[in-house]
Amino acid sequence: MKNPFIDFHPGSYQIKERPTQRIIKEKQAVFNHIIKGYLDLVENEIKDLAWVVEHSRVVKAYGAAVEGLRDLQYDQAYIEEFCAELDGSNSIPYMIPGPAGLYVSALVNYSQESHILLGLGDYQRPFHFLGYGLPEGKTLTLQGDGGDFIGAGLNGGRLVVQGSTGNWCGAGMMSGEIWVDRHTGRNTGEWMQGGEIRVDGQIHGIGKTFFGGCIFKQGRLIASREVERVF
Amino acid sequence: MSLTGKDDLRKAAWQIHDYIRAELVLTRPDMDVKGMPFNSGLLMSFLIGLFQGKELIIGEPGLGKTTSAEYVCALLYRFPLGVIWRSEVAGHPEQTEEKIIGRPDLGKLNQGDEVVVWSYFTLLPVKIIDEINRLPETKQSMILDGVDRGKWEYLNDAIINQEFCLFATANYHDQGTNTIIAPLIDRFDLMVESKHPGPNLAYQIGIRDSNGLALRHEDLEDEFHQILSARLPYHVRMERVEEICGRFSETLEKGPGIRTLSSVERQAVRLQKEQIPFDLDSSAFLRLVLAELSFCHRFGQKRTHEVCEEGCHFTGYLCSTIQNCVSNRLPISVRSISQALAWFLGDETVGLEHLMAVLPHALAHRIQWKEGILAQSEKEARDDSLAIYMAKKAVKEMHRRYIEQSSQVKDALSIAYRIAEGEKVEPIRGDHPIYWEIMKDMGEVISER
Repeated sequence: MKNPFIDFHPGSYQIKERPTQRIIKEKQAVFNHIIKGYLDLVENEIKDLAWVVEHSRVVKAYGAAVEGLRDLQYDQAYIEEFCAELDGSNSIPYMIPGPAGLYVSALVNYSQESHILLGLGDYQRPFHFLGYGLPEGKTLTLQGDGGDFIGAGLNGGRLVVQGSTGNWCGAGMMSGEIWVDRHTGRNTGEWMQGGEIRVDGQIHGIGKTFFGGCIFKQGRLIASREVERVF
Repeated sequence: MSLTGKDDLRKAAWQIHDYIRAELVLTRPDMDVKGMPFNSGLLMSFLIGLFQGKELIIGEPGLGKTTSAEYVCALLYRFPLGVIWRSEVAGHPEQTEEKIIGRPDLGKLNQGDEVVVWSYFTLLPVKIIDEINRLPETKQSMILDGVDRGKWEYLNDAIINQEFCLFATANYHDQGTNTIIAPLIDRFDLMVESKHPGPNLAYQIGIRDSNGLALRHEDLEDEFHQILSARLPYHVRMERVEEICGRFSETLEKGPGIRTLSSVERQAVRLQKEQIPFDLDSSAFLRLVLAELSFCHRFGQKRTHEVCEEGCHFTGYLCSTIQNCVSNRLPISVRSISQALAWFLGDETVGLEHLMAVLPHALAHRIQWKEGILAQSEKEARDDSLAIYMAKKAVKEMHRRYIEQSSQVKDALSIAYRIAEGEKVEPIRGDHPIYWEIMKDMGEVISER
């Protein structure tokens, strides 16, 4: 049969790349890079079949995540899209909450914007470790409830949670601020070295090991090196 | 003197067109092609006549439907008006095959011989059926084959016209008219409306000699009659007819000073037309049009008796507003007349402007709109008859859609070419029916039902 599209053979018509196509292509390439970085991280982390929260392991996973994102230009839209992919798509086969949260934190910490807003209420699965290592000059706002280890290792940034967090909020944070509209779970501020955690609702428990910084509950200072802990 | 050059032939064609427009058929311009004003009825009739098409001319009584066809035929085929008049068929309920096509030679029949006396209508290359919609529906099928292929049969004899064009006129519906049956109406390449020329031109018609007296020639008309009535083989008669046509053309040159085209020159013009290619945009646009007019996501294609439900995903396209599927005669008509227009305008390729001019007239009589759509449009302000107005509106809509995504459509067709050649490339998908049709051509089963 004669090719019915013969009028459009390459000799008479050449497909030109249009600006929109180029932009879409570039965007897709960046996003693919982000996905690949995550998959590489997960592949490395699941060798032991179980992912256990240990300080050294967290630091190593975060470091690997940062390494995967080196020199990549992206913004908040990519982070949101990645979170949505993690939450509901088949294109990412593994959603391991710990590494996933660390990877999102790395994305936030190295993104172009100084203020990032993530709508956690849009997702079905909990995200842990959000705000991990958030550096000075960055503000991360989480709309909805976060998982465990929210703001862990905070490093001078400002984390606002418009909802509640799970356990270990602000664990090991060094400096900066965490504002929580509602409640935090157990071990809030465990191994905390500096900065402030301000909770407007209830704190289910403060960490046993407390090196520095301040924790406020409903505006009242309840824990610091100078003040005896309430709990 | 014979005309041989491409431009000479075109110049002669223009001279005929302009003479009719200036002296015989006084009409207002109602369309614009590439910045040039034309009267759609006259322009399309002229192209139909020169390039052997078939045209349905609608309009109120007395607005020049038949007359304009007669003038076009007389000047393009070099027949005096008297010959044209004798060849015309009038549509009425008592019309018979014997009056339209041919009858037995009674003298010969008495001697036991079956000899057919063909009508002038059958013999001549110019065919005019006046008031075709007064032919009862059962009798319309008598002329289907002849209208389609120029093939006429009676008793055991047949004639195939080597060259022919056909014009049929139709009044708007009244008590004496019938519906033109779908297979017959689809055979018309174009439909045009013969419009009122406005009071000032109409006033001129009353006071000037615009009745085509220059196209009468009683002596030659008698000679034509003798040849056409002679018991000679068809081709012999036509050779002699052509010789008298040549003599009539000389009188036209001497009288009104019009250079007409011989049958050989007409043939040359048609060959030149056939060689005019479609440019990529017109190729892609026509495909898009055909997709909208034949596609049905639910039933695979449009069928008159199957109406897809409200709320179909493709509501924004024409497929959701029409009932029938366009036939394969549509692209044939559009291709031929668009090429004809490009030739007439001296263009090297058929482009979007040619298509935009021709498409409404190729679609107007072929689209069966859903009743609700007709009801919405019939009260809208307009300058054309409802069918042509709706076709123009539809073409404009499709053109807008094409312009919005022309690059993507062409890309999709280009990728489809490569896939059809065996290359492993991902096809381009989109929302418009054309993309879905391309996917079907690629062998994809559309399963989202």
